[in-house]
Order: sequence, then C-alpha cells, then structure tokens
Amino acid sequence: MMDLLIKALLDGDQAQAIIQASKLREAGVGRRQIITDGVEAAMAQLDAKCTVEQFNLLEIMLCGRAATGVMKVLYPPSTPPPQTKGAVVIGALEGDVHDLGKNIFKMVLTAKGYRVVDRGKDCPVERLIDTAEQEAALAIGISGLITTVIPQVLQIKDKLVARGLGHIKVIAGGAALKQTLAQRLKVDFVAQNAFDGLHYLDQMRG
Amino acid sequence: MPTLLVQLEAEERRISFVFGQSLRHILDGADIGVRTGCRGTGACGLCLVRIEVGEVGEPTFAESIHLDNAQRAQGMRLACQVIPQHDLRITLLSPAPKSAWRRLDGQEAWCGKRCLVFPLRNLSPLVKGSYGVAVDLGTTHIRLSLHDLASGHWLAERWGLNPQVTVGSDIITRLMVASESPEQARIVSQQAVMAIGEALWDIAIREGIDLQQVVRLTLVGNTAMLALLSGQNVGRLLQPDHWVGAIDCAPDDTQAWAIAWGIHPQAVVEVLPPLAGFVGSDLLAGVITTCLTEHEAGSLLIDFGTNSEIALWDGQILWVASAAGGPAFEGSGIRCGLPAEPGAIYRVTWQNGVFDFTVLAGSEPRGFCGSGLVDLIAGLVRSGQLTRMGRFSPTIPSEGFGLIRGERDLVLTKRDVDMFQRAKAAIGVGIQVLLANAGMGCQDLRRICVSGAFGSSLDVPNAQEIGLLPRISPDRVELCGNTALTGCEEVLLSPVAARRLQHLKDRARIINLSQCSDFDTLFLENLYLQPL
Repeated sequence: MMDLLIKALLDGDQAQAIIQASKLREAGVGRRQIITDGVEAAMAQLDAKCTVEQFNLLEIMLCGRAATGVMKVLYPPSTPPPQTKGAVVIGALEGDVHDLGKNIFKMVLTAKGYRVVDRGKDCPVERLIDTAEQEAALAIGISGLITTVIPQVLQIKDKLVARGLGHIKVIAGGAALKQTLAQRLKVDFVAQNAFDGLHYLDQMRG
Repeated sequence: MPTLLVQLEAEERRISFVFGQSLRHILDGADIGVRTGCRGTGACGLCLVRIEVGEVGEPTFAESIHLDNAQRAQGMRLACQVIPQHDLRITLLSPAPKSAWRRLDGQEAWCGKRCLVFPLRNLSPLVKGSYGVAVDLGTTHIRLSLHDLASGHWLAERWGLNPQVTVGSDIITRLMVASESPEQARIVSQQAVMAIGEALWDIAIREGIDLQQVVRLTLVGNTAMLALLSGQNVGRLLQPDHWVGAIDCAPDDTQAWAIAWGIHPQAVVEVLPPLAGFVGSDLLAGVITTCLTEHEAGSLLIDFGTNSEIALWDGQILWVASAAGGPAFEGSGIRCGLPAEPGAIYRVTWQNGVFDFTVLAGSEPRGFCGSGLVDLIAGLVRSGQLTRMGRFSPTIPSEGFGLIRGERDLVLTKRDVDMFQRAKAAIGVGIQVLLANAGMGCQDLRRICVSGAFGSSLDVPNAQEIGLLPRISPDRVELCGNTALTGCEEVLLSPVAARRLQHLKDRARIINLSQCSDFDTLFLENLYLQPL
C-alpha cells in the first residue's frame, strides 16, 4: 500500500495520494511512518531525478501539491502540530513578486517534515526576522528572481546578528541569487534548487 | 538541386540552389557577402567572381562593358549577371567585409513582400529619392529595413545579434549594469547605436545605397531596450512600481546618432515611446500593423519571444500583458536548439510511426528552431511517446528522444521539454488572465495573430494540440512574422499609422500577471501539454 502512495505522489495525483494515505491510516499505520516511508521516499526519488537533469517543473509541482495534500490529511489544521524537524521561515523579498521557486521549496520542506512559515511575496526583511524570532526558526529561506533584491539579502545576516539571532541560518535561492557565492551574498548557503536547500538543512541538523 | 561550391579564404562552402536566381542572389542568400555598388543591376562591375568549373553561358552586355578580354579568358564574371543552371565551382574575387549582419529572408520575411496598410507620407518633390529606415531593437536580435519614402518600396533588410548580449542575455542584467554609473549606461547605449550603424553600413556596401539619402529613421523596441538606448530611466525599470506606469525613453541627442550612422545629419530620428514599463513600442507596432483594434471583438495578438507580449482587443479595451517565459521559442536554452537560420529543422511531421523533417535552406540539419520544436513535441504527444505531463514513455532512453542518430545526434531531452512547458505555460496564463479581465473565454476569440519567434512556419494545429495557442479554427490564425518591424515600417512610411499609434494609449489597459492571486494554480494547469 505504501508503494501505491509513492506512485500516486510521483504521478502527482493528489486525489489518489490522499486516498492511499487515508487507507494506510485506517490500516493502523502511524502518521510518522507514512511520512518517512511514503512521502519522504517519494521525495527522495524525485530528488534523484532532479540531479540527473530529468527535472520537470510540472512533475515537481504536482508531486509537491499531492504531498501537501497528504500532510493536510495526516495533520488537519485543528490537530496539534506534529513533532517537526524544526521551523523554517520563508519569503520572497520586497520588490519581488515571483514566488514559484519559494513555493516549491515550501512543498519539499513540508513533505520532509519541516514546519514552514511562509511570509509570502514582497516581504520586508524585518518581518522575516521578527517571524524567525517568534517561531524559534532554524533558518530563514529567501528567494530572489530579480537581482534588485540583492541589497536586502546582504543585510539579513547582519541584522540577525545585531538582534542576537546569529544562530539562525540564512539560505538563499532563486534565479538572481544562485550563481553568486554565499560569502558574497553574506548568507550561510546558496541553494541551487529546492532539494539542495533541503540537504543543507538536513546536514546542518546533523 | 544543382550545387554551388564557393572557395572562400578559410573554407569551402557548398550551397544548393534553384534555377532562376543570379549568382549574387544565391551567395547573398547564403550570407556570403559580395561587394556591390548598384544593387545587382550590372551597372557597377564590382561583384567579380571567377568560374573554376562549370557551364555558365555567354557574358551579358553589362559584363562585356566591365570585363576585358584577358579577364574573360581567366573565367571572370559578374555575380549579378550569371544565372547558373548546373553544378558550379567559383572563387570570390571581391568579398564584402566580414559582417555579422544577415539578410532577412525566407522564414523571416513577412509574406514575401510588404503589403502596406496605411497611406504614404506626402513628400515634396524635393525629397524624392530619399530613404527611410525602420528598426526593431530586440533583446536578442536587431532587425532593420530600408525603404524608399516616396514609393514605400522595400529596398533592403538586415538582422543580427544585439551586441548587448555580451553585457547580459537578459534584460534585468543589462539594466543592472547600465544603472551602475552614467559611464556604464553610455557604453551599453553605444553598443546598440554602433550595431545599427554597422547594419546600415552593411546595406550601403552590399546594396550600393548612399546612406546620406536616409532622412528618416523610426525605431521600436521593448521598454528596457529603449531605456538602454536612450540612457533614460534605466534604474526605474528595475523597480516593480514602475512596470505598469509610463516611462520616458526619449533620447536627448539624435543628431549625434545620425552622424555616427552616416545618414543625413538632419535626418528625423524617432524612438517610438513605450506604453509602460513592460509594454514596449514593439508590441504597439504589432497592434498597428495587424489592425487589431480595427476588427471585431475577440482579436488576440501574441508576440512570441523571451518576453512574450500578449494583446487582446475586446471591442472597447486593448488588454495587454507581458509573459516572461524564457527563450525556448527562439531555440535558446534547448540542447539542440537553433534560431531560425540555415540548418535549423523548422518542420517535423509524424506519420505512420515515422518522423520526417524539413531543414531551413535545405542544408544539413544542425538543430531545431521554435516551430520545429513545437512540431516534434506535438508529434511525440500524439504518438504516445510523451505524456501530457512532459514525461517520456519508458521506451525512450534517459538521455532523451533522438530524432537523428549518427555523426551529430539531434536529441530532445526531458529538460528541453520542461523549458518548453514553462515558456508555453507563461503565455497560457497570460491569455487566460486577459480573457478573464475582458469577461471572455477562448470560445469568444475570432482572430489570433501570431508574431515573433516562430516566423511564418508554425504549424497551427500542432501548436493548438499542446496548448500554445487557443483552439479556434486554424484559418482564423494568422502567422504574421515580425510585426514589430512591419508596424515600425508602417509608422515610418505613413503619418496615418503614426497617429493611430498615439491613440492606442487611450485604449490600452495593462495587466501585471505576477500580481494575479491565482497565478500559481493557473501556471500549473498550463504546464500540461494539452489544448487550452
């Protein structure tokens, strides 16, 4: 049955994925196991594909959407939040209204058990930092499709340090940022794609 | 077809030709420039070639005037006078200087010759014999054409790379570089100015045109290109607040340009103003030349490019949007992609389980251009080898679908399909959002004008099958070629067209796609390779 869930997720068939996840629950399989052996396993397969240039945006978006759907079934908004690997605050910076990449990152992280707090697009740096502090976040993920956001990216780490939040990692991604070195952007990591960012987070947690 | 072998300095070129064209015409079509001072009438005697092997018939009258007996004994002839019938081998004796500029031909040209829509300028008898130049300053390519202002006759056309691509292939990078300092802005502006000058010089040398007779130059482009050219407001274009507002791109001193270009120093140089931050005068020119707002409601113009622009006329309002889909339609970013140039596969058919293809200029296939890509993807979908999601069937090897295997593989990779899906989806969203704003649906569309990257060789049913164009009767889809340049020509040649262009502003309404609340959902739906 787990295989059927994985297949439905990889096919991006949200309805089927939700049916399979519900069946697994009825059969007494724990939420944690469904996530680890089902959702995460599907994500790992997708990840492997991405690294061999078999990337297809539609597949990733559909899979991500199906995974988000399954997570909602496993943890309806009314239930207490699950034990997560930690919180990650994400947003697209002020002036940038493109957030497709950010949304994919959100889906991938959610499916892999992180709690994602999405501050949307056109988001000021201060709001990201405030949220990260409130949520005791592990990291802040920022996306930038246009190069005009670079001055804002350069400020984030300094501002975090100034507020005693230097331990919160800053991950940057998006077309405008990903060719640049982390040092030059004054961030902890520059992710080439959503999975790259995920690996960094996993590694950082040890 | 007979073959022409041409010995050049560094290489030998092999060109297939059809009977009836002069040697000069065949050479020019293959972008082998021959010097001339008379546009090929035989009057100047500059286009010397030597026949090495092959039959070419007796010298013409013009040749007997220009060539002495000794020259004729050596096999020298004038390229404009020789009309070869059989295989031939020649040496060029007077090649034109190396040029990056090509004639707009075949694929690129818009239904062969111009059929002007608007009445010509009234010129005083004094200015008869004066020329006008229309320029489409594109992000990747610059296209320009030269006309007789009095008769409206088309005289010559060129296209070549915009040298600003060395600064950055995308608009944003160029704007960033230019906004660093006034000096940088000047350098980037000069690149475009010099390129236009080189193209004009190429016309002068190869067609024998006196540039001093050029008294008018009209230029269109997307807003960023116009801003970079004039050096005005470059920084403002980087701020989203300015994208839907008016932006001043009027140049300060066009006389300096006229002098740099070698055209008449008092020539009228007009840079047609853009509508807003992301709607340039290139799109407006397209609306003019297709008479989009003169027809019934439900007329759609799509100008395919790296940034595709879409305009929808609903009878009262011209709804306009810009969709940034990437350069896939222009063959960029695709493994075996090519612009529409000789060697590009521009048509692919799938019949009885076999793919067949046609190559531009009949030469060896080197890659796919946009229309070939559309055909190939539609063929793969129809034959069940590619799912609507963009996934190859298990029978296709992981490196992709090989159309040609051999010395040089021509392969379509999964990544190529992905790039194409994204470019297509951006436009699909644009069309749907504009239709929604106008309170219309696809079924209300009466006319679709396709311009830009695909030239005139797009297969409409294939494009509809994979959702690149809305599904209306294919005979209501017009393939218009480069409407930015033809529209610019109309404005150059006709004050009526110029006035109409000014009035478009009052009717246009701009939609910023990225601010649509359901952009993500629409984008996802449009990634599927299925009819709109």
